Amino acid sequence: MSFAERMLKIDRRIIFMVIGLCTLLPLLYPVGLPIKISSEVRGVYDYIEQMPERSVFVLSIDFDPASKPELYPQAVAILRHAFRKNLRVVTMTLWVSGTGMADQLVTQVAQEMGKERGKDYTFLGWSPGGTAVIINLGQDLYNTFPSDYGGKPTKGQPVLEGVQSLRDVNYLVSLGAGNPGVEAWYVFGKDKYKFELGGGCTGVIAPGLYPLLRSGQINGLIGGLRGAAEYEILIGQKGRAVAGMDAQSATHLAIIVLVGLCNIFYFSMRRQARRQGG
Amino acid sequence: MIFLRRQLPLLITMITGLVFAGQYYVPHPASEQVLTSATKWMQIIGGFALVLGVTSLFHVHAAKIRRKEAGWGYSVVLYGGMLGTIAVGLWANGKESVEGVSTAFGWVYNFMMVPLQGTMFAILAFFIASAAYRSFRARSREAAVLLIAAVIVMMGRVPLGEYLIPMSGDLSQWILNVLNASVRRAILIGVSLGTVALSLKIIFGVERSYLGGGKE
Repeated sequence: MSFAERMLKIDRRIIFMVIGLCTLLPLLYPVGLPIKISSEVRGVYDYIEQMPERSVFVLSIDFDPASKPELYPQAVAILRHAFRKNLRVVTMTLWVSGTGMADQLVTQVAQEMGKERGKDYTFLGWSPGGTAVIINLGQDLYNTFPSDYGGKPTKGQPVLEGVQSLRDVNYLVSLGAGNPGVEAWYVFGKDKYKFELGGGCTGVIAPGLYPLLRSGQINGLIGGLRGAAEYEILIGQKGRAVAGMDAQSATHLAIIVLVGLCNIFYFSMRRQARRQGG
Repeated sequence: MIFLRRQLPLLITMITGLVFAGQYYVPHPASEQVLTSATKWMQIIGGFALVLGVTSLFHVHAAKIRRKEAGWGYSVVLYGGMLGTIAVGLWANGKESVEGVSTAFGWVYNFMMVPLQGTMFAILAFFIASAAYRSFRARSREAAVLLIAAVIVMMGRVPLGEYLIPMSGDLSQWILNVLNASVRRAILIGVSLGTVALSLKIIFGVERSYLGGGKE
């Protein structure tokens, strides 16, 4: 067996170790390389920035703990920004397995920003039906969520004053890890009920949402951990996402080097086979 | 009997399909009320579907345990996990915390479900790296184009890549915004046209496979 062949059949535990080290070392010894802000992330930030105080902002936390590393920092950064702008923040989820996590997230950031539940923000929780929930919210919010996640009636909450349906929402951001997520909010929500929509998603599904972005169907897109890091920089409050960017840089580079090596060995094997054949 | 089994479902499908396709374009309050009621029904049916799904899962795994099929031990773990979670969920009245104090149900969620799901997602990074090393080879021209595009996007999406090759950020944005968006849009339009065609076939009774293959 040639050297190239041996290298191509390398024990995968060595690759696992390389990736593990590339993740761990930058977290222990951060470098802090500068992060450039993209126009997609700035789209969401600028829209929230120009919203007048007490405007209605809906954040739909459409992910579960599996996508927490990428989407949790996005949610924290957006909530901090919305609370700082004194917006009325209405949160909810379309993913049943994300309900507990979403409640903790909203409560934690609201407490940190000194906001009061029912007056400055609310967490509506989850309701069965998937995309039907979006249509129902567009028809009547109180019919869809008669009470919030804590069991308090939604009708009469100061945070929802003057809000009857999605038509009364000034801006909605869906942080989605799949379906239902950003696309469902456009198809079943924005298209009919005419509110402004922004999106956030995991890095894997971000390329799939670019057509919506380019056509103006969503006004901004926060993609993956990188997007979250950009948002943290925009609000001037660095957090988990910025801390994770060095690790992501190192792992990306490691994968590129591995793919490069694999191709070098592959071509050297092919040349060797040709020589032997000729 | 044929009327109940074949013609009535087709009639309901046709009337409902046409009514709700038309409803979108009629902003009258009565039309909106029809939509509100229908989506409320859908939410209720969604709730039943959840019960149906859980029942079906129990049934499948009960059969596995009874027959002692390969991996039946995992089915026992599934039974234990599900029954245990349902029990603590009912005990805690579905609440994960009461006045800031975590319930047993909250404990199961925070210390079992969250780390397990996180772990499953995190190990993907290791497997993707291993799979990329073994299979991401420039075997053909198309594969080489894919490989180059992937390397540029991977470089452009992280600060280290932009630091080493400053133009990789703009190049990666161009790939995502122009090449990727246009191809995705073409696929989306194709899929959407296909969906419209299939919907029309279902509404007008041309496509009937959803009725099942029972004998008439």
